[in-house]
Amino acid sequence: MTKRFWRQGEPFVWATGLALSLILFLTLLLFYVVMANGLAVFWPKKVALATLQDGRSLLGEIVQEEIIPHTDKKRLQFKIGNRDLYGFDFKWVDASEITSLTYPKDVHVLERQEYGNFYGYLSEFEVKGIAPPVSGSNSLAQTIAALEDRKVEVHLLGKKIANLNRRVELIDHHLAKARYNKEENTPALAAMQGEKQGLKTEFEALVSILSEKSAALATNQAIFTDANGRTKAVALPNIVRAYQPNNMSFFAKCTYYLERLRELLFDEPRESNTEGGLFPAIFGTVMLIFLMSILSFPLGVLAGIYLREYAKDGWLVKMVRIAVNNLAGIPSIVYGIFGLGFFVYGIGGGIDQLFFPERLPAPTFGTGGILWTSLTLGLLTVPVVIVATEEALGSIPPGIREGSQALAATKLQTLTRILLPMASPGILTGFILAMARAAGEVAPLMITGVVKLAPALPLDGVFPFLHLDRKFMHLGFHIYDIGFQSPNVEAAKPMVYVTTLLLILIVLAMTSTAIHLRNKMRQRHSVADV
Amino acid sequence: MPKLDKQFIKKVRRQDRFATRAITVGGLLVIASVIAILVLIVRVTLPLFQPAGAEISHRLTVKSGTAPVLAVGMDDTQEVGFTLDTTGLFSFYDLASGKPFFTAPASTRKATVQSVESNKNNVFALLWEDNSVTVSQVDFRLLYDDSGLRTVQPEISQLGDYPPRSYPAPVKSMMVRSHEGRLTQVALLADNRFQIDHEVATTNILGDEKKEAFSFLLNEELPGPITAFTLDEQGSALFAGTGAGSLLRWDLGENESAERTDNVVAVAGDKPVTALAMVFGDISVAVGGADGSLATWSQIWTGEGDDRVRRLRKTHTLTSHQAPVERIIPSRRSKSLVSLGADGKTHFDHMTSEKHLLNLDPALTMAGISGQGNGLIGLDSKNTLTVWNVDSPHPEISLKTLFGKVWYESYDKPEYVWQSSSASDDFEPKLSLVPLLFGTIKGTLYAMIFAVPLAIFGAVYTSQFSTAGFKKTVKPVVEIMASIPSVVIGFLIALWLAPIVEKAILAVILGVLLLPLIFVTIMAVLRPFYKTPTLQNFCSGHEFLLLVPVIFLAGALAMGIAPFVEQLLFAGDFKQWLYNDLGLRYDQRNCIIIAFGLGIAVIPIIFSITEDAISNIPPSLTAASLALGASRWQTIWRVVLPSASPGIFAAIMIGFGRAVGETMIVLMATGNTPILDWSIFNGMRTLSANIAVEP
Repeated sequence: MTKRFWRQGEPFVWATGLALSLILFLTLLLFYVVMANGLAVFWPKKVALATLQDGRSLLGEIVQEEIIPHTDKKRLQFKIGNRDLYGFDFKWVDASEITSLTYPKDVHVLERQEYGNFYGYLSEFEVKGIAPPVSGSNSLAQTIAALEDRKVEVHLLGKKIANLNRRVELIDHHLAKARYNKEENTPALAAMQGEKQGLKTEFEALVSILSEKSAALATNQAIFTDANGRTKAVALPNIVRAYQPNNMSFFAKCTYYLERLRELLFDEPRESNTEGGLFPAIFGTVMLIFLMSILSFPLGVLAGIYLREYAKDGWLVKMVRIAVNNLAGIPSIVYGIFGLGFFVYGIGGGIDQLFFPERLPAPTFGTGGILWTSLTLGLLTVPVVIVATEEALGSIPPGIREGSQALAATKLQTLTRILLPMASPGILTGFILAMARAAGEVAPLMITGVVKLAPALPLDGVFPFLHLDRKFMHLGFHIYDIGFQSPNVEAAKPMVYVTTLLLILIVLAMTSTAIHLRNKMRQRHSVADV
Repeated sequence: MPKLDKQFIKKVRRQDRFATRAITVGGLLVIASVIAILVLIVRVTLPLFQPAGAEISHRLTVKSGTAPVLAVGMDDTQEVGFTLDTTGLFSFYDLASGKPFFTAPASTRKATVQSVESNKNNVFALLWEDNSVTVSQVDFRLLYDDSGLRTVQPEISQLGDYPPRSYPAPVKSMMVRSHEGRLTQVALLADNRFQIDHEVATTNILGDEKKEAFSFLLNEELPGPITAFTLDEQGSALFAGTGAGSLLRWDLGENESAERTDNVVAVAGDKPVTALAMVFGDISVAVGGADGSLATWSQIWTGEGDDRVRRLRKTHTLTSHQAPVERIIPSRRSKSLVSLGADGKTHFDHMTSEKHLLNLDPALTMAGISGQGNGLIGLDSKNTLTVWNVDSPHPEISLKTLFGKVWYESYDKPEYVWQSSSASDDFEPKLSLVPLLFGTIKGTLYAMIFAVPLAIFGAVYTSQFSTAGFKKTVKPVVEIMASIPSVVIGFLIALWLAPIVEKAILAVILGVLLLPLIFVTIMAVLRPFYKTPTLQNFCSGHEFLLLVPVIFLAGALAMGIAPFVEQLLFAGDFKQWLYNDLGLRYDQRNCIIIAFGLGIAVIPIIFSITEDAISNIPPSLTAASLALGASRWQTIWRVVLPSASPGIFAAIMIGFGRAVGETMIVLMATGNTPILDWSIFNGMRTLSANIAVEP
C-alpha cells in the first residue's frame, strides 16, 4: 500500500499542484503589493506627536516599524517632512525613547510647491489686501481660498508669457531661415524684426508685472510652529493643499482622496516628479500607443494578408515566416538601438539637413522624439501583428474561401466581406496584446526620446498642433526615473507605487479586453464550424 | 435569369486586380523592410572589425635648403601642418594648397636645436646646442567668419626659457620633459653616465612663486652603453636601453635620488635597444630593437605579501619590423603608436588590441599623428610632407579584446574586464564582452532554475489534473501575468523585495529548504488516507488549494526559526559569516532577486506554451495508458511528457530568449557590476543592461 502510493506517483501529482499554487501565490502577492501600496498613498495618514525621553518631540506620520536587527527592541520610522528645517524627510526613532505618542487635533499638514510636506501648528497670519481671517479650525483654508483669485491671475500671466516666448521663438526660426537663405533687407524680414521687437517689449512689461504681483502675493504668509516650537513662515501661495488629518471625518478623507486622484490624473508633476500629477506621462503613454498603432497595425495586417492569401507558398514564404518569427523574439533593447541608429541619426539627421539646415547644429528631428519612439515600437509590434493576422486567417476553414469563390466572388470580395470579418477578433486580440506589451516597454524608449520632464506636450494649441519632434514623458519611464534616478528615493516611493498601479491598470484593461474578445471569437467560430 | 451587369463585373474585377497588386506590393515592401532591419542590425556591427585604411590626402614639398626637420605635426581638422627645424623655426603650411603661410621662431636666440620632445598638448621642449631649453606651445585656434566659414589660426606661445647648465663631461644626448611648471632634463654624458636636473616652480597659497632646482649625477655602473632613453612626462621615471638589449628603469625622486628598479632583457639576441617612447598615459613604454621587434613594457605588481614589488614586464608584443626600429612616435590621444623602421617602412599599431593598423611604404624620417588619431603626417628624406587620412574607426577593438584576456595597464595579469569610460582622458578602454556574457548567462541560468520547474509543473497540473472550469480561469490569469510590464517587476523586486530579502536572507534560504520538507511530511501523513473516497472526491482537481497553507506554513516556520538558526550556526550574523568563512560578499541587489524577477517574467511564457503543448496531446493516448492500468502520474511521466517534449523544449527556449533580452529588470535590480563570479549573493551586468547603461 505505502509502496504503491509512492510508486504510482501520487505525491508528484501533489507536487505539480504545489508548483501551481506557488505561481498563483506569487502573482497574487505581486498584485497585492502594488494595490496595497498604491491605493493607500492618497489616504490621509494621522500625524503623531512623539515626545522623547530627552524632552524633545517630533511630529510626523508613522511609516513603518521594525525590530532592530540582533536585538529585540522596536524602532519606528517617522515621516517628519519639513525638509527646509531639518534637511531630511524621514527619521528612525527607537520605541524605547518615546515616552508618549499622541495625535493632536490641531496639527496642520501642508503640501507645498517646494521642500515637500510641512507638519506643524498654525500660529498666526500676515496677510495684505484681503480681510484678515477669522480664527477657527478652517481659517487656513478660508485664507487660501481668499487668495485664489490672485493666484489664478498670476498663473494666467505666466501662461501669457510662455505664449509670447513661443511666438518669439517661432520668429527666431523664421529669421534664422532667412539668414540661411541669404535674404537680406526684404520688407517681410523687417516686419518680422519689428514684430519681434514689439513682442519683446510686451514680454518684458509682462515679466515685470508678474514678478511684482507674485512678490506681492508671496508677502501673504502664515506662521507655523513645529513640534519643538521653531517658527516657520510659509508663503500662502506656496501651499498647494492644507489639511488637518487628525481632525478629519471619514467623508472629508474621502473627498481628500478624490481630490488627490483628480490631481494625479490631470495635473502636472511637481518637485522633480515626486509630487503632483501624472498628466503629461499619461498623455505621453496614450499618444505613444496611439501613434504606434497607426503605424504598425495597417502594415502588419497588410503583410499578414499578403503572406496568407496572396503569396504563393514556397521556400521563400517559409523563410520570410521564419524571419518574422525571429524578429518577434529579438530583445526590445536591440530595437531601441536600431531606432537610435536608423531613425534618429539616419532619417532624423537627413530630415534636418534637408528641411531645417538653418537650425543646425541644433537638431530638430535628429534627436530623440515621439515620432521615432513610436516608429521603433511600431517595428517591435509589426512582427506580432503579422503572426496574429496570419494565424487568424489560417484558422478559417478553407471551405469558406472555396464557397465564397464558388459563388463568383472575387478574391478581394472574399477577403473584405468574409475573411476579414471572421478573422478580425483574432487579429485584434493579437494586436491588443502587442499594444499592451508596447505600453509596458521602457528599454527602447530610453534611447529614442523619452525624458523625465518634457516642457511641452507633443500635442497642443500652437501651430502645427502635432509636434512629432518633441520629447515626451511616459509612465513606465517615470517609474524607472523617480524610483532609481531621483535624489530622494524614499520620499519618491509613494509616487512610484501610484505610477505602477496606473500602468498596471492600463495594461490590465487592454489585456482583459483582448481576452474577452478572444472568448467571443471562439464562440463565433464554433458556430461557423458547425 | 437576371442578366449580370457587365459594368459591375468589370468594376469588381478591376478592384480585385488593383487590390491584388496593392496588397502584393505593400506586403512585399513591409516584409522587405522588416528583413532589411535584420540585415541592418548585422551591418552596424561589422565596421568594428574592418581593417584600417589610409589614403593620401595631401602631399606638399617643404622649402628645400632649410635646416633638417626635428618634428612635424598638424591640427585636428587636418588643414594646417607644421615642421620644426634645427634652427628652432616653426613653419606652418596650408595643407590643401601646399603653400607655406606662416613661420615663427621658438626663441629669438640664434642657435641650433639639438633635440625636441613633445607632449599631448603640442608642447615642445627644445634643447639648444648650448644646453639651454625653451618650452613652446603650438595652438590652433578655430575662427569662424560671419558666413560660418572656418579658418584655422596657428599660434605659438613660449611657456618657459631655461638657461644652460654645466656638465662634468660633454653631453652625448639629452632629453627634456616639461609638465605643469616642472622641467626635467636628463643628459647622457660622453662617459656613459646620466646627469639629472629638476626644476620645479610651485606657487604657494599667497601667490608667491617659488623655484626649486636640483641637479645630480647618476653615479652608478651601467650594464652597457646606453643606446636610447626616455622620460615620462612628469620626470619621475627614466627608462634606458643598452646596446646589449637591456631595458633599465629608474625612479627619480623629488630629492637628489634615483633608484634603479629594473634591469630586464627587452631585446633578444644581445641586439641593442634602438628606440624608446612612452605610450600615451605614461604607464607603458614602447621598446624598439635592432632586430625590428616592437613591444610595450609596463610595471606590474609581482610576488606575494610583503615581497610584492613592481617590476617591468612585457605586456604587449606588436608586429615586428624587418629592420631596426629607428623611432617610435606615440599618439597624443590614444594608445596607438607609429614606428619608423630603418628600411623605410612605417607601422601604425594599437597597443591594447595589438592590432597592426597600417603599413606604409615611403621612407619617412619624421612623423606625427593628429590629435583625433585619424590623420598621419610624415616627412621623407626628399623633404616631402605627406598627409594620410587614416580610416580606423575602432582601433581598440579586435576579436581578442572583445573575447580574450587582455593585459591592461596597471593590471597584474591579462584579464577579462569591462570598463568603457573613466574620468581621465588617458584612460585605456577595457572592452571585454566576457563579463557581460557571463552576467547574462548567470542571471538567465539562475532565473531558469527557478522558473522552469515551477512553470512546467504548474502547466502539467493545470492541463491534466485540474477541473475544466478551473483551467478556463487559470489561462487568462497567466496571460495577464505575462502582460505585467517588466519595469513594474523590476521596480518591485529592486525597491520592495530586495530590502526584505536582505533583512531576512536566512529565512528565505530556510523557506526554500523547508517547503519540500514540509511537503514530503504532509504527503507521508496523507498516505494512509489517500484512497478514502472523501479525500478523493474533495481533492481531485483541487489539490493545489489544499497546498496553499503549506506555503504559508513554510514561510512562517522559516521566519520563526531563522533567528535561532542564525544564533546557533552562524554566530548571530549570517552575512558576516558568509563573508568571514566563505569569503562571499552580500550585495542587496543580487542573483536571488534577479532569479526571482526574471523568473516571474518568464514563468507565464513557459507556462502557456507548455500548457498548449500538453493539451494538444490526443486524449486517446492518455486514455489508452490509463486503461492499461497506469496511474495518472505514470501516464503523465511516461506518455504525455515525452510526446509533448518538443513543445516543452520550445517553451523553455522562448523563455530563455526573453530572459536573455530582458533589460529593465536587470537594469534596476542588479548592481550592474561587470564581475566574473558565480556567487548568488552578487550582482552582475548583462549585455542588455549594458546597452541601456552605456550611452
